[in-house]
Amino acid sequence: MISLHKNLKGAALVAGIASLSLIVTSCSGGGGSSATSAEAKTSGATITVALFMDPPPKASLAAFTKSTGITVNWTNIDWDSLQTKIAAAATAKTYFADATDVDWSRVGQLAKLDWFYPMENYLDTKSLATDMPQLPSFTSNGHVIAVPFDTSFLVTTVNKQLFAKAGITTMPTTIADYTKDLKQIKAKGVSVYPLNIPFAAAEGLSTYWYQTTAAFGGTILNGAGKPQFTTSNSPGYKAAQWMVDAIKNGLVPPGNINVADSLGQQTLMAKGVVASTFADYSGNVGSLYDVPASSTVVNQVEYLATPGVNGPGINMSNPDGIGIPRQAKNPAAAAKFIEWFTSARSQADFAGVSGPDKVMSGYFLPSRLTGIAELTNKGTLIGGAQLSGMLKNSAKPVFPEGAPAWYPEFSRAVYTNLHSAATGSMSVANAIKAIAVTANKLSSGS
Amino acid sequence: MTTFELRNAEPPSGSTPADGSARTKVMRRHRRFDFLPYVLVTPLTLFIVGLALIPATFTVVQSFYRVQPLDPPNRFTGLNNFRRLFNDNAIHSSIGNTALYVLIGVTLSTVLGIAMAVTLQHKFAGRSILIAVLILPWALPGVVEGIVWSGIWDSNTGALNSLLTSLHFIDHYQVFLGQHRILTIAAIELVQVWQITPLSALLVLAALQNIPGDLYEAAYIDGCSPWSVFRRITLPLARPGIAIAMVQAVIATLNIFDQPYVLNGAAPTAASLTMQTYFISFQNLDFGEGYALSLLITVVTLAVSLGVVKLVYRPVEF
Repeated sequence: MISLHKNLKGAALVAGIASLSLIVTSCSGGGGSSATSAEAKTSGATITVALFMDPPPKASLAAFTKSTGITVNWTNIDWDSLQTKIAAAATAKTYFADATDVDWSRVGQLAKLDWFYPMENYLDTKSLATDMPQLPSFTSNGHVIAVPFDTSFLVTTVNKQLFAKAGITTMPTTIADYTKDLKQIKAKGVSVYPLNIPFAAAEGLSTYWYQTTAAFGGTILNGAGKPQFTTSNSPGYKAAQWMVDAIKNGLVPPGNINVADSLGQQTLMAKGVVASTFADYSGNVGSLYDVPASSTVVNQVEYLATPGVNGPGINMSNPDGIGIPRQAKNPAAAAKFIEWFTSARSQADFAGVSGPDKVMSGYFLPSRLTGIAELTNKGTLIGGAQLSGMLKNSAKPVFPEGAPAWYPEFSRAVYTNLHSAATGSMSVANAIKAIAVTANKLSSGS
Repeated sequence: MTTFELRNAEPPSGSTPADGSARTKVMRRHRRFDFLPYVLVTPLTLFIVGLALIPATFTVVQSFYRVQPLDPPNRFTGLNNFRRLFNDNAIHSSIGNTALYVLIGVTLSTVLGIAMAVTLQHKFAGRSILIAVLILPWALPGVVEGIVWSGIWDSNTGALNSLLTSLHFIDHYQVFLGQHRILTIAAIELVQVWQITPLSALLVLAALQNIPGDLYEAAYIDGCSPWSVFRRITLPLARPGIAIAMVQAVIATLNIFDQPYVLNGAAPTAASLTMQTYFISFQNLDFGEGYALSLLITVVTLAVSLGVVKLVYRPVEF
């Protein structure tokens, strides 16, 4: 009896241990942020980098591994899924990457939640600032939570051939002239729908409105997060009205109601369907519109100083950064990778200075002024002088005090209501009112 | 011998124990309990409890708390999360959208599923190939289907617009998604119907395969028309399968996310309740409200499914 009882107990014990090990394995994760001995060790470490783009060339990564002893596992995750992953992993205090994307719009939120390591703990961010004009966009309360790895700001692009066909010999410098020229292009039958606006309910619609508001001479929120667009003569209100009127009056393709800012908008410009994109992405001329494989308007598109109220206006910055989540297993190694990834040499190589072998797919514009200068001097950056000038002089952050922690909810209110106004299911006045109500609610902390 | 028989067994004759040892042996056998089934089921049970029941319980409990990383600490707020949901216009709009998804999706997938099952009921040349082709949409993830269909519905460069203009049915490209609410929801739901109908067809087909052939023979001998046979024999006897198919359609349509998100973004025109759960949880970082909405969706799914079973399911015996 004793031996039988023992056998039964043993079998149950084994089964229990097997079950527990299954559960422990499935629940395991989380590198934790307090492994001080692991933080110090970099050589021999393996890190995971999660970004929304393809990795650098294998040879470049191999050279990095050889010089630092750090092996990089690259994961390409689309932007929306990546933001969800960052939030889910941080909330669950679970590891998913050692270095990942920090979008300019999430800086306020991520900084308040303390989900990323301050980069000044690992890099000389003070000297970076002189070469990276967009570094302040990733600074919150004196802490730099990410380093920008590309230069992205909103620019106006025009198909000069279509403008010329419509008899426009002098390019517009004000919003009024720009609108008049678009109507002329339509009236002369050069382009049925000359203007490109991505009215899909997505982030691109929000940033388009921010750029248009800046062109009208205004801002979206003040330092306290209060809306600056509520009255009908405010720049933000006028910008929204201008955008909605453009689709109602036939300047924008009706199908743009479901076109997002990335593939859809750029395809229309690259195929010559539209004549101008008011808020396009810096670098698109050289990387997309002048590439025969993807464009039928090669050498036809150029950058235009964004028309403003009385002359050229401001360009809104929307850069991407790379930072180290608090759950990283090896933050020191991740910091070394970020230092290499954002170095002037690497950025120039990724953008094509050293030939096609070192080009990183999808990488268009360095975040460093020295990188842009090198590309321009070597003639590999189309419109480089113009872009460099814009970056230095007119590219400004959307929120000078930094994106608020509640930005994602605010942005959703912006793009859903502007989308509804464009479909005609609500008026611009009601859309603006709804956006303002959300901004006031969020800024007051309720 | 079973445990019961052992328990009541008389000791073997001629073996009267002088010291009771044989009786003791029988009594030991009486107490044997078979652990093996429980041991074998334990890992799966723990897995289900750990990965389904515990998170579900956590969701129910946390739905009564304010859980916002931007506003710590977590604290009990009673029904506040639910109150905020019921006062949210975006939620109201999504309830209407989701109801339309359920109505269109369940109706279409059931009707088409039955039609497909009846067609596949009898053997014909190429039947197995046809089944394999029909099942293909079910194998594809919803996101992939959304991307494929976005190329069809696209208002600027879509295949459908291109086809209709080349056939001169329309003179300029139409906007199928985003402009009109009903049209947008119908277009999106068609994509999901394309995905879930194969499963409905297989479930109904399985039920049809159980119907004895001699019932059909007798019916035809008695002069019944095909429609009459379908109405009086096929449909009633396939009700268990139809009920299961409808329940799975209810679950799929009530929880729709991939297709509207890919095809129409976050536009309120066609945003579903599950999309709102995603926005509230991962954009607003209001997990308490997200838990509350998840709980409500689960309760509604359960209630509607039970209603469908009550209305449609009938036990069938052959």
